Amino acid sequence: MKGILKLISIFGGGVLWHILATRVINDSALLVSPLVVIDKGYEMLFVTADLYPHIYASSSIFFLGIILATLVGVPLGFLMALSPVVRDCLNPWMTALYSTPRIAFAPVLLLWFGIDLATKVAIVFLGCVFPILINSFYGMRVVSREFVEVGRSFRLSRSRLFLKILLPASVPFILSGLRLAVGRGLTGVAIAEWFGATEGLGYMIFFAGQTLNIPVLFVGVAVFALLGILGFQVLKMIEEFASPWRKELEVK
Amino acid sequence: MQRTEFRRGFLSVLGGLLLWEILARLLLENELLIPPPSSVIRSLWRLGLSGELNRHLLATLFEFVCGFSTACVVGILLGYLMGRYRWFDDLMEPWIATLYSIPVIAFVPLIIIWFGIGLLSKIIVVFKITAVAIMLNTAAGIKTIDPTLLELAKSLRLSPWETTYKIRLPAALPYIITGMRLGVGRALLGVIVAELMAANAGLGYLLRDASETWDSPKLFVTVVLLAAIGMGSFTLIRKGEQKLAPWRETAEW
Repeated sequence: MKGILKLISIFGGGVLWHILATRVINDSALLVSPLVVIDKGYEMLFVTADLYPHIYASSSIFFLGIILATLVGVPLGFLMALSPVVRDCLNPWMTALYSTPRIAFAPVLLLWFGIDLATKVAIVFLGCVFPILINSFYGMRVVSREFVEVGRSFRLSRSRLFLKILLPASVPFILSGLRLAVGRGLTGVAIAEWFGATEGLGYMIFFAGQTLNIPVLFVGVAVFALLGILGFQVLKMIEEFASPWRKELEVK
Repeated sequence: MQRTEFRRGFLSVLGGLLLWEILARLLLENELLIPPPSSVIRSLWRLGLSGELNRHLLATLFEFVCGFSTACVVGILLGYLMGRYRWFDDLMEPWIATLYSIPVIAFVPLIIIWFGIGLLSKIIVVFKITAVAIMLNTAAGIKTIDPTLLELAKSLRLSPWETTYKIRLPAALPYIITGMRLGVGRALLGVIVAELMAANAGLGYLLRDASETWDSPKLFVTVVLLAAIGMGSFTLIRKGEQKLAPWRETAEW
């Protein structure tokens, strides 16, 4: 029953969209039928194959940014959790950086690094690093006191306490952070590619927007949506695999 | 405890600004790359006096408030229906979930094509972002209501309207506010992007203007202002959260 209604919704929405595009608006510079979009998507994937360079460019920026964010965010989050001095000193800067709309940094980064890979990676990095950092911080902070006491009574050294108890206990939090970071990272990719890129999905969308090439624009948006859903699902699977004892934990 | 925390934070900010000033003045001496804080403040002063700042601030604020308030009304209403009626949820969910997972930025070119470069397109951007976030969270809140509360309502013979108004909505309130909080950050980003792309007023426009005329102090003024607005709105929402739903513990950040 549930599945049927969903199918009806998707199909009905598609038909409505088709009718709206072909009968009501009838202007290919404003809206095109989903059939045209699918057709274009098929063409770009299998006939001309010009979607792949864009996907490749976008994903390399994305992965570089998110990996760098993990490498910086997790240790820094741990450090802030373990040392009150570091936490208090970094806190105001982090809060300011975190709550600023990321787009504001783009022109500044452009000024510093030029139209270069570094700028794009930096924009993605800025988007991803905070959810990862904050979640690592929390993960380390909320480790159950009992676990730590058990460790102490077994006379674990500090390093072993960290490796055996604190680190595994904060894994689910780090993964939640990563999950949030995926969405923000994708937005970061789109922002980054808008500033002086010559390829990439973001570039494709903006170029299509400026030339009123609506089918390509929709294909770009759809690919972004698919990548977002894919990344989300993959991380969910990793999460279930890495921390099966915890179902839902999230710091938003 | 609270005071040492504050003192350390204050010292860190002060020290950072001082370091920035010294670095910018003595070592780099390049206004274009890193203007010292003093010239950023001077630029802020000038912008404020000329009334330029006011105009841009008001434009962005207007767009934000219009989009956000309509999104709250529509989002809570549709979210409530999604939470209450299974069939409505099934009908809406595929589309809403798809909308939610697409990066905001990818939509902006389309919205500008449809609604022009004026205020309307930015209001729509804010509306779309916030409404989806509020809708999904409201639906989750209505769905996960504690059944004993509903039984209580039944045994007190509350009318359906009273049950909604006195039991369901207050129970979903923390979720609704979470939706708003998620919406604020994303919507702020969305509106700035839309203004950067095509506009003739607003902070995003100012950002673009400053970067295209290589006016670094002005650029930094805009960045600092955006940081202040972001922090201000987060604090406001968190305060509201504590006031409206004090039983829910909120994260420190």
